[in-house]
This record gives sequence, C-alpha cells and structure tokens, in this order.
Amino acid sequence: MKVWIAGGTFALAVLAGVPAIAHYGMIIPTDPMVEPEEGRSVGLTLSFSHPFEGNGMVLETPVAVGVTKDGETNDVLGDLEPATVMGEPGFTLDVPLDRPGTYVFHMEPHPYWEPAEDAFIIHYTKTYVSAYGDDEGWDAELGLKTEIVPLAKPFALWAGNVFQGIVKLDGEPVPYAEVEVEFYNNEAGIEAPSELMITQTVKADGNGVFTYAAPAAGWWGFAALNTADYTLPQDGEEKDVELGAVLWVHFEPWP
Amino acid sequence: MIRRVAPLVLAAGFAVATFAPAAAHRLNVFAFIDGGDVVVEAKFSTGKRPVSGDVRVLDGNEALLVTMELGNNGTVRFPLSSVHHVGGLVIEISTGEGHDDYWILTPEDIARQAEN
Repeated sequence: MKVWIAGGTFALAVLAGVPAIAHYGMIIPTDPMVEPEEGRSVGLTLSFSHPFEGNGMVLETPVAVGVTKDGETNDVLGDLEPATVMGEPGFTLDVPLDRPGTYVFHMEPHPYWEPAEDAFIIHYTKTYVSAYGDDEGWDAELGLKTEIVPLAKPFALWAGNVFQGIVKLDGEPVPYAEVEVEFYNNEAGIEAPSELMITQTVKADGNGVFTYAAPAAGWWGFAALNTADYTLPQDGEEKDVELGAVLWVHFEPWP
Repeated sequence: MIRRVAPLVLAAGFAVATFAPAAAHRLNVFAFIDGGDVVVEAKFSTGKRPVSGDVRVLDGNEALLVTMELGNNGTVRFPLSSVHHVGGLVIEISTGEGHDDYWILTPEDIARQAEN
C-alpha cells in the first residue's frame, strides 16, 4: 500500500498489513454559517474519502440522506446530483434554508466492504449548518444508530478552540470510545511529518465525552468507531461491521 | 453579534444600514411572506422573544415606508400590498440597548414566497 501525503508530494511505502489511513464519510457544506446576505440555500458535497491525503473512494447512492430542523427530518436523498469528489463518485446537492436556525445534515451509506480490514464499514455522517445568525438547535441529537452529539457548538469555532462531543451508540454514551480525528487537507497542502500525524486519536472519558483542540482553521472530521453487534455476509462468511459516528466541524481562522 | 453588511449578492444589490454589534443576548430578525402578509419575527439568541420593540420598514433604496410596534410575542405582520415592495424590503427592529437587527426580503424572496 502506498500512502500519499500532502497531495502526493511524496509517498511512503508502508508494510502490507499496517492499518490503513482512516476512511471518512464526508458531508462538506459550502458554508457552515450562512448569513442572510449570502443566499437562501447551502450546497453540500458528499463523499467517502481519505480527507487528509485527498484520496477518494466510491460512494454509492446512500441508504439515507436527510436534513433535520427543529426536530423534523426531511429526506433529501432524491435531490442528490452525481459528482466526482477526489477523483471518485460522490454527490452534491443544494438545500434551501427557509428559516433561521441550525440545519443538521446526515448520511447513512451502504455498508462498504473493506478487504484490508476484513470488515464492512458504515459511517453515519453528520454536519451542522447555522442559517441567518441563529444557532438554535446546534446540539440536536438525531437518534442515529451511532452519532457524535455536540457539547460545543459545532460551528462558530476559532482555530485553537477545543471541540467536545459525546459518542453515542444506540442512544447511549460509549465509555472510552476511540475517536479518530483528521483534517480535510483539500487545498491547504499540509504535509504530515509522520503518518501518525495524518489521523490523530483521542479517547472519550467514562461518559463518552471527548475533547480535541484543532490547531488550524478548516474542516476537521471526528470519527468514533465501534464494532456493531451484528455481522454481514461476505463470500459465504459472516464479517464484522465497523460503525462510525462521523461529524464534520469547521474551525474559523483567528484574524 | 457582528453582521457582515456586504453588498447584497442575492439580486437587488441595495445597501443597508450598518448596525452596532450587539452584546451577548443578540437579536435575530426574520421575515417572510404568508398569505399576502409580511410576517416579521424577532428572537434573542437565548430563544426568548422580545416583548416590545420598534419596527422600521424600508424599501430597497432605504427610504422609510412605515414604522410600527413589535407585538408582545416578538412578531408583527402587515399586508405586503400596503408597502411599495418592488425593489425589496428592509425590516429593522430595535429593542433598545444595542439590540438591533434587520432582515432583507429581496425581490426574489417576495416573488418566490408570494407564489407559495
């Protein structure tokens, strides 16, 4: 396996069998805080990718894509437009923002078979967007199979702020859950001095609460990974399913 | 709250007044068209509704059209047809002590919402 760092400026050959760099379901809005002067909708890009290295993977049409506002969830799966994201199939869509407040977007993909991990991956992916200066609903919990529920407002953060969330599985906190953190390198061109710096890892406390301080502005992905209590068949065998609670949070540059 | 008072990119391109940044309990104003009326809503960032306030309705050239009092539930409504709205509307609300905000109903907003 080759791991490309910083947009392919150099490559590291690593031994086969070393854990792969993290996969992430991704929902990246055009703007995490839409102001009245900026329009009446927000664009979203959906993908399944390695965000730091900029390597895409195929995202099939998801099982569900929804937007939740004031406790009401609407299905927007039918509004997806095929797109190429990091060189692989993904989707875009544009969602009207009819009223002020926080809009929570989520995606449930089909199980992704990852031979290298001998397991399926399902990343329940979320992001939060505030509309028109109103942040009401920023801590909304959707009731997904697994999700990160924000304890810090998941937008309007300065670079350097800490972000806190609680990892939940089946609605219950996950003590000492492992949370992988990765920067969406996109056009930033950040070079990691070590592969260990591409995906960082923090653990939640006994109440499922984790804390991370982002060192720079941009989109940061948090993925809390747990093994499902069920298996799925692959080539006649039952295989584990990795459930990811993924949340994308934007940190703003300090002026 | 610090608002960017940038040139309106939605369509109308009309300038709006600059407001002083509000303090912690910032005010949010929103307006929409419902059944031929302009419905104006004001809310503090705490979620509470102001019980009083001054409402100013301006046209797209910032000419004052009408003033009114905010209702004690933080809302007020008036007939769209009662104001000249071809160039859009700017609705300002002041509840005092730096708690000011505004909402712009662009011509596109009005056309789209009036259809619904």
